Amino acid sequence: MPFNPEKFVSQAVADVKKQVGDGKAIVAVSGGVDSTVTAVLMGRALGDQLVAVFVDTGYMRKNEPETIKGVAKKAGLNLRFVDAKGEFFSALANATDPEEKRKIIGEKFIRIFEKIAREENACFLGQGTLAPDWIESGSGLRATIKSHHNVGGLPKDMNLQLVEPVRELYKDEVRKVGKVLGLPADVYNRQPFPGPGLAVRIMGEATPEKAEIVREACAIVEEELEAAAASGKMALPWQYFAVVLPVKSVGVLGDARAYGYTIAVRAVESLDGMTAKACSVPPEVLERIAERITRQLKEKVNRVVYDITSKPPATIEWE
Amino acid sequence: MKVLIVDFGSQWTHRILRTLKYLDVDAKIIPVSTPSSEIKDADALVFSGGAIRVSLGDGDQTGNARLFLSCFQGPILGVCAGQQFIGMHFGGQARPSAGPEFGKVEIIVDDHDELFDGVPDRFHAWASHNDEVVETPGFRVLAHSKDCSNHAFKHESRPIYGTLFHPEVDHSEYGEEIYANFLKLCKK
Repeated sequence: MPFNPEKFVSQAVADVKKQVGDGKAIVAVSGGVDSTVTAVLMGRALGDQLVAVFVDTGYMRKNEPETIKGVAKKAGLNLRFVDAKGEFFSALANATDPEEKRKIIGEKFIRIFEKIAREENACFLGQGTLAPDWIESGSGLRATIKSHHNVGGLPKDMNLQLVEPVRELYKDEVRKVGKVLGLPADVYNRQPFPGPGLAVRIMGEATPEKAEIVREACAIVEEELEAAAASGKMALPWQYFAVVLPVKSVGVLGDARAYGYTIAVRAVESLDGMTAKACSVPPEVLERIAERITRQLKEKVNRVVYDITSKPPATIEWE
Repeated sequence: MKVLIVDFGSQWTHRILRTLKYLDVDAKIIPVSTPSSEIKDADALVFSGGAIRVSLGDGDQTGNARLFLSCFQGPILGVCAGQQFIGMHFGGQARPSAGPEFGKVEIIVDDHDELFDGVPDRFHAWASHNDEVVETPGFRVLAHSKDCSNHAFKHESRPIYGTLFHPEVDHSEYGEEIYANFLKLCKK
Protein backbone atom coordinates (compact mmCIF):
# COMPACT_ATOMS: atom_id res chain seq x y z
CA MET A 1 0.00 0.00 0.00
CA PRO A 2 1.17 3.58 -0.50
CA PHE A 3 3.22 5.17 2.27
CA ASN A 4 1.31 5.65 5.52
CA PRO A 5 2.83 8.62 7.40
CA GLU A 6 0.78 8.13 10.59
CA LYS A 7 1.92 4.55 10.94
CA PHE A 8 5.46 5.62 10.13
CA VAL A 9 5.47 8.27 12.88
CA SER A 10 4.37 5.90 15.64
CA GLN A 11 6.90 3.27 14.57
CA ALA A 12 9.74 5.80 14.23
CA VAL A 13 9.06 7.36 17.65
CA ALA A 14 9.05 3.89 19.24
CA ASP A 15 12.28 2.95 17.44
CA VAL A 16 14.07 6.13 18.57
CA LYS A 17 12.94 5.54 22.18
CA LYS A 18 14.24 2.01 22.01
CA GLN A 19 17.58 3.02 20.48
CA VAL A 20 18.37 5.97 22.74
CA GLY A 21 16.73 4.67 25.92
CA ASP A 22 17.55 6.96 28.85
CA GLY A 23 20.51 8.46 26.98
CA LYS A 24 20.86 11.95 25.62
CA ALA A 25 21.00 12.87 21.95
CA ILE A 26 21.82 15.82 19.79
CA VAL A 27 20.24 16.26 16.38
CA ALA A 28 21.76 18.12 13.46
CA VAL A 29 19.34 20.61 11.91
CA SER A 30 19.85 22.66 8.76
CA GLY A 31 16.43 24.27 8.41
CA GLY A 32 15.51 21.80 5.68
CA VAL A 33 12.64 19.33 5.66
CA ASP A 34 14.59 16.14 6.43
CA SER A 35 16.44 17.39 9.47
CA THR A 36 13.46 19.28 10.86
CA VAL A 37 11.25 16.19 10.58
CA THR A 38 14.01 14.08 12.17
CA ALA A 39 14.34 16.55 15.03
CA VAL A 40 10.60 16.65 15.69
CA LEU A 41 10.33 12.84 15.57
CA MET A 42 13.23 12.54 17.99
CA GLY A 43 11.76 15.26 20.18
CA ARG A 44 8.53 13.26 20.47
CA ALA A 45 10.50 10.24 21.57
CA LEU A 46 13.03 11.93 23.82
CA GLY A 47 11.56 15.19 25.11
CA ASP A 48 14.24 17.18 26.92
CA GLN A 49 16.84 14.44 26.38
CA LEU A 50 17.30 16.09 22.95
CA VAL A 51 19.24 19.18 21.84
CA ALA A 52 19.09 20.45 18.25
CA VAL A 53 22.28 21.90 16.77
CA PHE A 54 22.53 24.26 13.81
CA VAL A 55 25.96 24.94 12.36
CA ASP A 56 26.42 28.08 10.28
CA THR A 57 29.05 26.91 7.81
CA GLY A 58 29.21 30.16 5.86
CA TYR A 59 27.67 28.28 2.93
CA MET A 60 24.07 28.79 3.92
CA ARG A 61 21.32 30.38 1.86
CA LYS A 62 20.68 34.10 2.20
CA ASN A 63 19.08 34.86 5.59
CA GLU A 64 19.16 31.14 6.47
CA PRO A 65 20.68 31.57 9.94
CA GLU A 66 17.70 33.82 10.81
CA THR A 67 15.19 31.50 9.09
CA ILE A 68 16.39 28.47 11.04
CA LYS A 69 15.67 30.18 14.34
CA GLY A 70 12.09 30.72 13.19
CA VAL A 71 11.78 27.11 11.97
CA ALA A 72 13.15 25.76 15.26
CA LYS A 73 10.70 27.87 17.19
CA LYS A 74 7.75 26.71 15.06
CA ALA A 75 8.88 23.11 15.50
CA GLY A 76 9.33 23.53 19.26
CA LEU A 77 13.03 22.64 19.25
CA ASN A 78 15.63 23.48 21.87
CA LEU A 79 18.29 24.95 19.52
CA ARG A 80 22.02 25.48 19.87
CA PHE A 81 23.49 27.74 17.23
CA VAL A 82 27.15 27.30 16.26
CA ASP A 83 28.98 29.90 14.16
CA ALA A 84 31.68 27.92 12.33
CA LYS A 85 32.05 30.08 9.22
CA GLY A 86 35.77 30.73 9.71
CA GLU A 87 36.50 27.07 10.42
CA PHE A 88 34.75 25.86 7.26
CA PHE A 89 36.28 28.54 5.04
CA SER A 90 39.80 27.68 6.15
CA ALA A 91 39.23 23.90 5.98
CA LEU A 92 38.05 24.25 2.37
CA ALA A 93 40.82 26.58 1.20
CA ASN A 94 42.55 25.08 -1.84
CA ALA A 95 40.15 22.11 -2.02
CA THR A 96 38.88 21.80 -5.60
CA ASP A 97 37.85 18.16 -6.01
CA PRO A 98 34.13 17.67 -5.28
CA GLU A 99 34.64 14.45 -3.31
CA GLU A 100 37.45 16.00 -1.28
CA LYS A 101 35.24 19.00 -0.51
CA ARG A 102 32.37 16.78 0.63
CA LYS A 103 34.66 14.74 2.88
CA ILE A 104 36.20 17.83 4.47
CA ILE A 105 32.71 19.16 5.16
CA GLY A 106 31.51 15.80 6.56
CA GLU A 107 34.44 15.59 8.93
CA LYS A 108 34.15 19.21 10.05
CA PHE A 109 30.48 18.73 10.90
CA ILE A 110 31.22 15.61 12.93
CA ARG A 111 34.07 17.22 14.92
CA ILE A 112 31.73 20.05 15.85
CA PHE A 113 28.94 17.62 16.77
CA GLU A 114 31.35 15.56 18.88
CA LYS A 115 32.33 18.67 20.81
CA ILE A 116 28.72 19.68 21.41
CA ALA A 117 27.81 16.10 22.34
CA ARG A 118 30.55 16.05 24.97
CA GLU A 119 29.24 19.31 26.43
CA GLU A 120 25.71 17.91 26.45
CA ASN A 121 26.70 14.45 27.69
CA ALA A 122 25.13 12.91 24.61
CA CYS A 123 26.37 9.87 22.72
CA PHE A 124 23.73 9.83 19.95
CA LEU A 125 23.63 12.02 16.85
CA GLY A 126 20.38 12.39 14.94
CA GLN A 127 20.65 13.08 11.21
CA GLY A 128 18.01 13.62 8.53
CA THR A 129 19.57 11.05 6.20
CA LEU A 130 17.21 10.07 3.37
CA ALA A 131 17.38 7.06 1.03
CA PRO A 132 19.09 8.98 -1.84
CA ASP A 133 21.91 10.01 0.55
CA TRP A 134 23.07 6.47 1.29
CA ILE A 135 22.18 5.22 -2.19
CA GLU A 136 24.35 7.85 -3.91
CA SER A 137 27.13 7.46 -1.35
CA GLY A 138 27.61 3.91 -2.65
CA SER A 139 28.68 0.68 -0.96
CA GLY A 140 29.62 -2.77 -2.25
CA LEU A 141 28.36 -3.18 -5.82
CA ARG A 142 26.70 0.24 -5.71
CA ALA A 143 28.87 2.95 -7.22
CA THR A 144 29.62 6.16 -5.36
CA ILE A 145 27.96 8.98 -7.28
CA LYS A 146 28.70 11.52 -4.56
CA SER A 147 29.68 11.07 -0.93
CA HIS A 148 26.88 12.70 1.03
CA HIS A 149 28.47 14.42 4.01
CA ASN A 150 26.16 12.59 6.41
CA VAL A 151 26.97 9.12 5.03
CA GLY A 152 30.01 8.69 2.77
CA GLY A 153 31.65 11.83 4.18
CA LEU A 154 31.62 10.69 7.81
CA PRO A 155 35.06 10.21 9.39
CA LYS A 156 35.89 6.60 10.22
CA ASP A 157 36.81 7.32 13.83
CA MET A 158 33.53 9.05 14.70
CA ASN A 159 32.47 8.29 18.28
CA LEU A 160 28.76 9.10 18.03
CA GLN A 161 25.99 6.58 17.38
CA LEU A 162 23.73 7.61 14.52
CA VAL A 163 19.98 7.90 14.82
CA GLU A 164 18.44 8.14 11.36
CA PRO A 165 14.68 7.64 11.53
CA VAL A 166 13.92 8.75 7.95
CA ARG A 167 16.72 6.91 6.13
CA GLU A 168 14.34 4.64 4.19
CA LEU A 169 12.25 7.56 2.94
CA TYR A 170 12.32 9.80 -0.10
CA LYS A 171 11.62 13.52 -0.13
CA ASP A 172 7.92 13.24 -1.01
CA GLU A 173 7.42 10.80 1.86
CA VAL A 174 9.30 12.88 4.42
CA ARG A 175 7.10 15.85 3.47
CA LYS A 176 4.04 13.74 4.30
CA VAL A 177 5.57 12.91 7.67
CA GLY A 178 6.22 16.63 8.26
CA LYS A 179 2.59 17.38 7.55
CA VAL A 180 1.35 14.67 9.92
CA LEU A 181 3.71 16.01 12.60
CA GLY A 182 1.94 19.37 12.33
CA LEU A 183 4.83 21.35 10.87
CA PRO A 184 3.86 24.51 8.97
CA ALA A 185 3.45 23.97 5.20
CA ASP A 186 6.27 26.39 4.40
CA VAL A 187 8.60 24.14 6.40
CA TYR A 188 7.59 20.73 5.02
CA ASN A 189 7.29 22.07 1.47
CA ARG A 190 10.70 23.80 1.43
CA GLN A 191 12.77 22.94 -1.60
CA PRO A 192 15.71 20.59 -0.99
CA PHE A 193 19.02 22.16 -0.05
CA PRO A 194 22.25 20.13 -0.09
CA GLY A 195 23.84 19.29 3.25
CA PRO A 196 27.24 20.73 2.27
CA GLY A 197 25.38 23.91 1.37
CA LEU A 198 26.54 26.39 -1.23
CA ALA A 199 30.02 24.82 -1.19
CA VAL A 200 28.79 22.30 -3.77
CA ARG A 201 27.25 25.08 -5.88
CA ILE A 202 30.68 26.59 -6.37
CA MET A 203 32.64 24.54 -8.89
CA GLY A 204 36.23 24.30 -7.73
CA GLU A 205 37.50 26.10 -4.65
CA ALA A 206 34.65 27.36 -2.46
CA THR A 207 36.11 30.74 -1.53
CA PRO A 208 34.18 33.19 0.68
CA GLU A 209 34.01 35.53 -2.33
CA LYS A 210 32.30 32.89 -4.47
CA ALA A 211 30.03 31.89 -1.59
CA GLU A 212 28.81 35.49 -1.58
CA ILE A 213 28.27 35.43 -5.38
CA VAL A 214 26.33 32.18 -5.42
CA ARG A 215 24.30 33.14 -2.33
CA GLU A 216 23.06 36.28 -4.09
CA ALA A 217 22.46 34.43 -7.36
CA CYS A 218 20.51 31.66 -5.59
CA ALA A 219 18.38 34.26 -3.81
CA ILE A 220 17.53 35.91 -7.15
CA VAL A 221 16.66 32.58 -8.79
CA GLU A 222 14.44 31.69 -5.83
CA GLU A 223 12.67 35.06 -5.81
CA GLU A 224 12.04 35.12 -9.55
CA LEU A 225 10.85 31.52 -9.90
CA GLU A 226 8.65 31.79 -6.82
CA ALA A 227 7.14 35.00 -8.22
CA ALA A 228 6.62 33.35 -11.63
CA ALA A 229 4.91 30.39 -9.98
CA ALA A 230 2.76 32.61 -7.78
CA SER A 231 1.53 34.51 -10.83
CA GLY A 232 0.66 31.29 -12.67
CA LYS A 233 3.37 31.51 -15.36
CA MET A 234 4.74 28.11 -14.41
CA ALA A 235 4.55 25.45 -11.71
CA LEU A 236 7.00 25.90 -8.87
CA PRO A 237 9.98 23.65 -9.65
CA TRP A 238 10.89 20.85 -7.25
CA GLN A 239 14.34 22.41 -6.82
CA TYR A 240 15.79 25.65 -8.23
CA PHE A 241 19.11 27.34 -7.68
CA ALA A 242 22.24 28.88 -9.17
CA VAL A 243 25.75 27.48 -9.57
CA VAL A 244 28.89 29.56 -10.08
CA LEU A 245 31.18 28.08 -12.72
CA PRO A 246 34.97 28.43 -12.73
CA VAL A 247 34.80 29.56 -16.34
CA LYS A 248 35.35 33.24 -17.08
CA SER A 249 34.10 34.84 -20.24
CA VAL A 250 34.29 38.20 -21.94
CA GLY A 251 31.52 40.72 -21.69
CA VAL A 252 30.93 44.39 -22.30
CA LEU A 253 29.57 46.63 -19.57
CA GLY A 254 29.05 50.35 -20.14
CA ASP A 255 31.33 50.26 -23.19
CA ALA A 256 34.12 48.72 -21.12
CA ARG A 257 35.46 45.20 -21.38
CA ALA A 258 34.35 42.79 -18.67
CA TYR A 259 35.82 39.44 -17.82
CA GLY A 260 33.73 37.63 -15.24
CA TYR A 261 32.27 34.40 -14.00
CA THR A 262 29.37 32.46 -15.44
CA ILE A 263 26.32 31.51 -13.43
CA ALA A 264 24.32 28.42 -14.39
CA VAL A 265 20.65 28.37 -13.40
CA ARG A 266 19.05 24.99 -12.68
CA ALA A 267 15.36 24.28 -12.10
CA VAL A 268 14.06 20.72 -12.14
CA GLU A 269 10.88 18.81 -11.60
CA SER A 270 11.15 15.59 -9.62
CA LEU A 271 9.29 13.54 -7.02
CA ASP A 272 12.08 11.92 -5.08
CA GLY A 273 15.34 13.34 -6.45
CA MET A 274 16.25 10.01 -8.06
CA THR A 275 15.26 11.16 -11.54
CA ALA A 276 14.73 14.74 -12.63
CA LYS A 277 13.79 16.75 -15.67
CA ALA A 278 14.74 20.35 -16.42
CA CYS A 279 11.73 22.67 -16.12
CA SER A 280 10.39 24.67 -19.02
CA VAL A 281 10.87 28.14 -17.61
CA PRO A 282 9.22 30.88 -19.70
CA PRO A 283 11.91 32.84 -21.61
CA GLU A 284 10.93 36.15 -20.05
CA VAL A 285 11.47 34.70 -16.58
CA LEU A 286 14.94 33.45 -17.55
CA GLU A 287 15.75 36.82 -19.09
CA ARG A 288 14.72 38.61 -15.92
CA ILE A 289 16.94 36.26 -13.85
CA ALA A 290 19.90 36.95 -16.16
CA GLU A 291 19.31 40.71 -15.97
CA ARG A 292 19.09 40.81 -12.21
CA ILE A 293 22.12 38.57 -11.64
CA THR A 294 24.37 40.44 -14.07
CA ARG A 295 23.29 43.86 -12.85
CA GLN A 296 23.51 43.09 -9.16
CA LEU A 297 26.77 41.15 -9.49
CA LYS A 298 28.22 43.14 -12.39
CA GLU A 299 31.75 43.24 -10.98
CA LYS A 300 31.84 39.45 -10.86
CA VAL A 301 29.34 37.90 -13.27
CA ASN A 302 28.62 38.80 -16.88
CA ARG A 303 27.01 35.65 -18.23
CA VAL A 304 24.09 33.42 -17.21
CA VAL A 305 23.20 30.04 -18.76
CA TYR A 306 20.34 27.63 -18.16
CA ASP A 307 20.98 23.93 -17.51
CA ILE A 308 18.66 21.79 -19.63
CA THR A 309 19.99 18.36 -18.61
CA SER A 310 17.89 15.69 -16.95
CA LYS A 311 19.02 13.24 -14.24
CA PRO A 312 20.39 10.92 -15.53
CA PRO A 313 22.80 11.70 -17.17
CA ALA A 314 23.42 14.73 -14.91
CA THR A 315 22.69 14.90 -11.20
CA ILE A 316 20.52 17.69 -9.81
CA GLU A 317 23.29 19.53 -7.95
CA TRP A 318 26.46 20.01 -10.00
CA GLU A 319 28.85 18.42 -7.50
CA MET B 1 3.07 -12.12 -1.82
CA LYS B 2 6.80 -12.07 -1.23
CA VAL B 3 9.23 -10.67 -3.79
CA LEU B 4 12.99 -10.60 -3.36
CA ILE B 5 15.00 -7.91 -5.15
CA VAL B 6 18.46 -9.14 -6.03
CA ASP B 7 20.68 -6.08 -5.73
CA PHE B 8 23.12 -5.62 -8.60
CA GLY B 9 23.97 -2.18 -7.18
CA SER B 10 21.57 0.10 -9.02
CA GLN B 11 20.89 3.65 -7.90
CA TRP B 12 17.27 2.58 -8.28
CA THR B 13 17.21 -0.76 -6.44
CA HIS B 14 15.48 0.95 -3.53
CA ARG B 15 12.98 2.48 -5.98
CA ILE B 16 12.03 -1.08 -7.00
CA LEU B 17 11.43 -1.79 -3.31
CA ARG B 18 9.28 1.32 -3.01
CA THR B 19 7.27 0.48 -6.15
CA LEU B 20 6.58 -3.07 -4.93
CA LYS B 21 5.68 -1.92 -1.41
CA TYR B 22 3.23 0.60 -2.85
CA LEU B 23 1.70 -2.38 -4.70
CA ASP B 24 1.15 -4.13 -1.36
CA VAL B 25 3.93 -6.62 -1.80
CA ASP B 26 6.14 -7.92 0.98
CA ALA B 27 9.38 -6.96 -0.79
CA LYS B 28 12.94 -7.15 0.39
CA ILE B 29 16.34 -6.28 -1.09
CA ILE B 30 18.90 -9.09 -0.90
CA PRO B 31 22.60 -9.07 -1.82
CA VAL B 32 23.81 -11.24 -4.71
CA SER B 33 25.75 -13.30 -2.16
CA THR B 34 22.51 -14.60 -0.57
CA PRO B 35 22.53 -18.43 -0.38
CA SER B 36 20.09 -19.93 -2.89
CA SER B 37 18.37 -21.82 -0.05
CA GLU B 38 17.07 -18.45 1.20
CA ILE B 39 15.17 -17.57 -1.97
CA LYS B 40 13.04 -20.71 -2.12
CA ASP B 41 9.95 -19.30 -0.43
CA ALA B 42 9.80 -16.18 -2.64
CA ASP B 43 6.92 -15.76 -5.10
CA ALA B 44 9.06 -13.84 -7.57
CA LEU B 45 12.51 -12.33 -8.03
CA VAL B 46 13.56 -9.00 -9.50
CA PHE B 47 17.15 -8.50 -10.64
CA SER B 48 17.98 -4.81 -10.32
CA GLY B 49 20.20 -2.81 -12.63
CA GLY B 50 23.66 -1.74 -11.62
CA ALA B 51 26.90 -0.14 -12.72
CA ILE B 52 28.41 -3.55 -13.46
CA ARG B 53 29.19 -4.04 -17.17
CA VAL B 54 28.06 -7.61 -17.79
CA SER B 55 29.01 -7.25 -21.45
CA LEU B 56 32.59 -6.60 -20.36
CA GLY B 57 32.85 -9.58 -18.05
CA ASP B 58 31.65 -7.98 -14.80
CA GLY B 59 29.20 -10.88 -14.54
CA ASP B 60 31.74 -12.40 -12.15
CA GLN B 61 30.58 -9.97 -9.49
CA THR B 62 27.05 -11.29 -9.51
CA GLY B 63 27.48 -13.84 -6.71
CA ASN B 64 24.79 -16.49 -6.73
CA ALA B 65 22.60 -14.84 -9.36
CA ARG B 66 23.29 -17.58 -11.93
CA LEU B 67 22.24 -20.15 -9.39
CA PHE B 68 19.02 -18.22 -8.75
CA LEU B 69 18.21 -18.39 -12.47
CA SER B 70 18.68 -22.13 -12.61
CA CYS B 71 16.97 -23.13 -9.36
CA PHE B 72 14.15 -20.59 -9.03
CA GLN B 73 11.24 -21.54 -11.28
CA GLY B 74 8.84 -18.67 -10.44
CA PRO B 75 8.58 -15.35 -12.27
CA ILE B 76 11.77 -13.32 -12.63
CA LEU B 77 12.11 -9.76 -13.94
CA GLY B 78 15.52 -8.35 -14.80
CA VAL B 79 16.01 -4.60 -15.18
CA CYS B 80 18.82 -3.00 -17.22
CA ALA B 81 22.04 -4.78 -16.12
CA GLY B 82 19.70 -7.43 -14.67
CA GLN B 83 18.16 -7.95 -18.11
CA GLN B 84 21.58 -8.10 -19.75
CA PHE B 85 22.75 -10.63 -17.18
CA ILE B 86 19.71 -12.84 -17.81
CA GLY B 87 20.14 -12.57 -21.58
CA MET B 88 23.79 -13.57 -21.38
CA HIS B 89 23.09 -16.38 -18.92
CA PHE B 90 20.79 -18.01 -21.49
CA GLY B 91 23.34 -17.75 -24.29
CA GLY B 92 22.64 -14.26 -25.58
CA GLN B 93 25.08 -11.48 -26.23
CA ALA B 94 25.43 -8.16 -24.48
CA ARG B 95 27.64 -5.41 -25.81
CA PRO B 96 28.32 -1.69 -25.41
CA SER B 97 25.44 0.22 -26.99
CA ALA B 98 26.05 2.12 -30.19
CA GLY B 99 23.35 4.48 -28.93
CA PRO B 100 23.47 4.53 -25.12
CA GLU B 101 20.42 6.20 -23.56
CA PHE B 102 20.28 8.33 -20.41
CA GLY B 103 17.04 9.90 -19.27
CA LYS B 104 13.89 10.01 -21.38
CA VAL B 105 13.39 7.40 -24.11
CA GLU B 106 10.37 6.57 -26.23
CA ILE B 107 9.55 2.89 -25.83
CA ILE B 108 7.78 1.23 -28.74
CA VAL B 109 5.92 -1.94 -27.76
CA ASP B 110 6.13 -4.69 -30.40
CA ASP B 111 4.29 -7.38 -28.46
CA HIS B 112 2.16 -6.49 -25.45
CA ASP B 113 2.20 -9.97 -24.02
CA GLU B 114 1.20 -9.93 -20.33
CA LEU B 115 3.92 -7.52 -19.22
CA PHE B 116 2.60 -4.58 -21.27
CA ASP B 117 -1.08 -5.43 -20.87
CA GLY B 118 -3.03 -2.15 -20.80
CA VAL B 119 0.07 -0.11 -21.67
CA PRO B 120 -0.07 1.97 -24.88
CA ASP B 121 1.95 1.05 -27.98
CA ARG B 122 4.28 3.97 -27.32
CA PHE B 123 5.19 5.57 -24.00
CA HIS B 124 8.07 7.41 -22.36
CA ALA B 125 10.31 5.70 -19.88
CA TRP B 126 13.68 6.52 -18.37
CA ALA B 127 16.79 4.58 -19.12
CA SER B 128 20.42 4.79 -18.04
CA HIS B 129 22.58 2.26 -19.84
CA ASN B 130 25.94 1.91 -21.52
CA ASP B 131 25.29 -1.63 -22.73
CA GLU B 132 22.43 -3.67 -24.15
CA VAL B 133 21.56 -7.27 -25.07
CA VAL B 134 21.48 -7.90 -28.79
CA GLU B 135 21.09 -11.57 -29.53
CA THR B 136 18.90 -13.47 -27.13
CA PRO B 137 18.16 -17.01 -28.29
CA GLY B 138 15.13 -18.47 -26.56
CA PHE B 139 13.67 -15.02 -25.84
CA ARG B 140 11.05 -12.96 -27.66
CA VAL B 141 11.60 -9.21 -28.00
CA LEU B 142 8.63 -7.23 -26.62
CA ALA B 143 9.76 -3.62 -27.11
CA HIS B 144 12.41 -1.42 -28.68
CA SER B 145 13.43 2.22 -28.98
CA LYS B 146 14.89 4.27 -31.81
CA ASP B 147 18.41 3.37 -30.71
CA CYS B 148 18.02 -0.02 -29.01
CA SER B 149 16.50 -3.10 -30.59
CA ASN B 150 15.72 -4.89 -27.32
CA HIS B 151 14.09 -2.82 -24.58
CA ALA B 152 12.09 -5.73 -23.19
CA PHE B 153 12.09 -9.47 -23.66
CA LYS B 154 10.37 -12.62 -22.50
CA HIS B 155 11.67 -16.16 -22.22
CA GLU B 156 9.85 -18.53 -24.61
CA SER B 157 8.97 -21.14 -22.01
CA ARG B 158 9.72 -19.80 -18.52
CA PRO B 159 8.15 -16.74 -16.79
CA ILE B 160 11.34 -14.73 -17.16
CA TYR B 161 11.16 -11.13 -18.33
CA GLY B 162 13.58 -8.28 -18.74
CA THR B 163 13.47 -4.56 -19.49
CA LEU B 164 16.37 -2.34 -20.45
CA PHE B 165 14.49 0.77 -19.32
CA HIS B 166 13.63 1.32 -15.66
CA PRO B 167 9.92 1.01 -14.91
CA GLU B 168 10.59 1.68 -11.19
CA VAL B 169 11.48 5.37 -11.47
CA ASP B 170 8.91 8.10 -11.12
CA HIS B 171 9.56 9.62 -14.56
CA SER B 172 8.79 6.33 -16.35
CA GLU B 173 5.20 6.28 -17.56
CA TYR B 174 3.17 3.12 -16.77
CA GLY B 175 5.98 1.84 -14.53
CA GLU B 176 3.68 0.81 -11.74
CA GLU B 177 1.36 -0.91 -14.24
CA ILE B 178 4.27 -2.90 -15.64
CA TYR B 179 5.29 -4.09 -12.17
CA ALA B 180 1.63 -4.86 -11.39
CA ASN B 181 1.42 -6.93 -14.59
CA PHE B 182 4.57 -8.78 -13.58
CA LEU B 183 3.07 -9.49 -10.15
CA LYS B 184 -0.06 -10.93 -11.79
CA LEU B 185 2.15 -13.69 -13.20
CA CYS B 186 2.91 -14.76 -9.63
CA LYS B 187 -0.75 -15.29 -8.89
CA LYS B 188 -1.06 -17.80 -11.69
